[in-house]
Amino acid sequence: MMMNEKMQKIGKFIRENCAADDFTLHINNSQTSATRFAQNAITHNMGGENTNLYLEVTFGTKTGAVSGNIFDEKSLQQLIKTAESIASLNQPDPEFVASEGAHKLPETTKTSHETISLSSEKMVDNIAKCVENAKHKDANISGISEKEISKNYMLTKNGFEGFDEEAVFSHSMTMKKDGKETKVSKSVNDFNNFSMENQLNQLNLQFDSLDNPVSMEKGRMPVILRPAAVLNWLHYLAWGFNLRSADDGLTPFTGKLGKQVFGEKFNLYSRQNQAKISAPSFFSNGLPVRDIDWIKNGVIQTMSSNRFYANKKGILPAQFYNFIVDGENISEKEMMKKVKRGVIVNSLWYIRSTDQKVGEQTGLTRDGVLYFEDGEIVKSVKNFRWNEILHDATKRIIALGESVHQSYYAKIPTMLIDDFNFVDVTTF
Amino acid sequence: MKLLLQIIDIAKEMGVDYADIRIQKTKIETIYLRNLSLKNTSLKEIYGYGIRVFKNGAWGFSHNNEFTEDAMQKTLKNAIKIAEQSARIQNGNGLKLSYERSYMDTFRTSFKIDPFEIPISEKVDLMMEVNKTLLNYDKIKQAQFFFECRKDEKLFASTIGTMLDITTLYIEPTFTATAIDKGDSQSRTFSLGGHAKGWEWMQKINWNNEAVRIAEEAIMKVQADTLGAETRRDLILDPDHMSLTMHESVGHPTELDRVMGWEADFAGISFATPEKLGNFQYGSKIVNFIADNTLTDGLASSGYDDDGVPVQKWHIIKDGILNEYGSTRDTAPLIDLNASRGCNRATNYYDVPINRIPNLYLQPGRVKLSPQDLIADTKDGIYIEGRGSFSIDQHRVNFQFGGDMFWEIKNGKKVRPLKKVLYKSSNPEFWNSVDAICDDRFFQTFGITNCGKGQPGQRGRMTHGGATARCRKIRVGGSQ
Repeated sequence: MMMNEKMQKIGKFIRENCAADDFTLHINNSQTSATRFAQNAITHNMGGENTNLYLEVTFGTKTGAVSGNIFDEKSLQQLIKTAESIASLNQPDPEFVASEGAHKLPETTKTSHETISLSSEKMVDNIAKCVENAKHKDANISGISEKEISKNYMLTKNGFEGFDEEAVFSHSMTMKKDGKETKVSKSVNDFNNFSMENQLNQLNLQFDSLDNPVSMEKGRMPVILRPAAVLNWLHYLAWGFNLRSADDGLTPFTGKLGKQVFGEKFNLYSRQNQAKISAPSFFSNGLPVRDIDWIKNGVIQTMSSNRFYANKKGILPAQFYNFIVDGENISEKEMMKKVKRGVIVNSLWYIRSTDQKVGEQTGLTRDGVLYFEDGEIVKSVKNFRWNEILHDATKRIIALGESVHQSYYAKIPTMLIDDFNFVDVTTF
Repeated sequence: MKLLLQIIDIAKEMGVDYADIRIQKTKIETIYLRNLSLKNTSLKEIYGYGIRVFKNGAWGFSHNNEFTEDAMQKTLKNAIKIAEQSARIQNGNGLKLSYERSYMDTFRTSFKIDPFEIPISEKVDLMMEVNKTLLNYDKIKQAQFFFECRKDEKLFASTIGTMLDITTLYIEPTFTATAIDKGDSQSRTFSLGGHAKGWEWMQKINWNNEAVRIAEEAIMKVQADTLGAETRRDLILDPDHMSLTMHESVGHPTELDRVMGWEADFAGISFATPEKLGNFQYGSKIVNFIADNTLTDGLASSGYDDDGVPVQKWHIIKDGILNEYGSTRDTAPLIDLNASRGCNRATNYYDVPINRIPNLYLQPGRVKLSPQDLIADTKDGIYIEGRGSFSIDQHRVNFQFGGDMFWEIKNGKKVRPLKKVLYKSSNPEFWNSVDAICDDRFFQTFGITNCGKGQPGQRGRMTHGGATARCRKIRVGGSQ
């Protein structure tokens, strides 16, 4: 029996046997192959298949949920009974919202034959090329090559039923020799869009541009953040960009919906039909995916919200599902000429909030930092710690590069930002 | 156990150098309450097995949750196939496994009342009461309570004849009050971390008193001053705060896989390289870090690790000197160690075991000393309670940490609460600045249950501990 049919069969059983007033069922199946390598050798190599069920049931507004991965009728019956028992013992939830009914779902393509049929042998062949390249440079390489095929099924008592399928291939690698250390990573839905040769070229380009880094004074200065660094940071914006948190006074965005908070050059969207960018056909709450403008010319258009709060405010619920940031097609070379001096940063690391209300975060640079002056790269420098406020930093954007496919869920440009707040210098 | 042994026999017949099978049933109960609204009340049970094969110096791992003989044999064959693929790319003759003898044993976390036997309604009632107490204060606008308990039942068998039956359990209650006043919002959290204990431990906590304290301190914090410009001051750190500091700056740098570069692509590497063993002044002479997977109530106290190696107790740092690492059967031979320290742990059945931080604590001082004595002995300092913002580089050298509650100390007295305090330091400066550690009357443990590591990522757990300690002249100031 095909996985979709198996999922539907489980759904039918739940529908026929669940006595609750309402239920929402999610089933997820994933097949993974993951090969880790380090110091020019494979260290871990794994594969397998998982199927998990999550069932939430409600009596009135009292809710209980279970999840499990054994699907014979006796086990399913037990799961239903447990969920119903939790719900009946629970207290009413004043923010309960009934499950979604049937929706017409948009078609989104997130699989490819090339990815699905990619063999573990081919993945190891790719790693062999990486190791060979590293040895040629008398360096060490570490990373992971991973393939995941996932299928999602959702069913509600009120009539929603949806399937979604996605294939993702991702490859990440760090090359290191003495003080030189840099990384590239790429993830795609369609393996046809992945080129190991391009990845190795990019890795070698970054690696060759580095030298044993020297220490530099901390302080505010222009920075060119490459797409990986920008994406690192955007994840943290998404976590704190919630309407209810803003309305409750917890974030810097209180009373800022519809207002200019970010820089005019900063545009952030989620799109359901963007080439080479993944989008689900429905959200975990059962609503069909839709295009969302988050920030347009620096003005906040939408903040994330769940169904309860969106209903209360009379707006549509919203959640991030991919990141698309507009670019300007300005090259890194041109960017370097727009300021007297600055640094180029490949990626950011260990980002944490230091002040939720102000929106300040801290983190470090990683994977290579280059100092430039008068339009030319001068030297590799040691890493910095930075403390910055992202929405303020976007007001200091001087130029944007071409928006590129940084990941299967993100299209991001390089950013030249003035006066970036580097507060400390690391020892390497 | 019969199926396990069958698989092990077949693995032997198929010519593997080593194989093990771990059947694991995991049960997790989660309740999350926010402002009297239950956001999640769920029970998760996952059941399956992972088979690891070591052949020609390389690993293969495969997992499944179908328990038929056919499915298990297919999973074994897949693991062998994966190991053969791995063996194509290796250094020299590949990996080696350190010697280990076989064991037949059982292990159970010690508890009186199984938390899974306590009705959900009793837990929700307790959490609701705490939420109500917090929200009774006008300035508290957000009250959250997160409760989790987890039980793992494992059967393990390996080709060297080891057979283990292991059950571990922990409970973790955490609640947070967020106060809003004068355009700012600040939170204060009650957290003891995860503890490998039964419900009887929850019954000993005075929830009302703790809720009142947390609410009042959250309000005090939102109304507190900020510290201003960064200068060097003394820090007095409570055991809760130090649990995270030691996790990041001692625990991770001394994982042997990280030291050997196995985590270079994501979690990072370590400055604490093997040539520093026995000679590197990691901390001052009073600094002793003990790895102890035999620790009562410790989250890494599981009897045996997922290599089938018994739990142990050893010095990571002895009298300030880097002494040893946390190791596994496949990392120990990389630096010519004869045996593993038993730190290979997987989170779920479908995860491959990886080199994890053991239970790790700062040994209490030998001289009688209380936190009050330390404050009285400090002219210009900051007292930090709890865990806050934390960030450290990928070599585990340079870091910046915050906390959950801050007090300014002037001339031996706590003079005012503060907010938005951050300190910056590095290894080995930080632990070498420790000049006083309170005695064992003030020793406390805190369990970490969300230690992210590995590719694909796993959420590991271990316990840290210590008594309040003082660090001299650390860079500390307000945020920005």
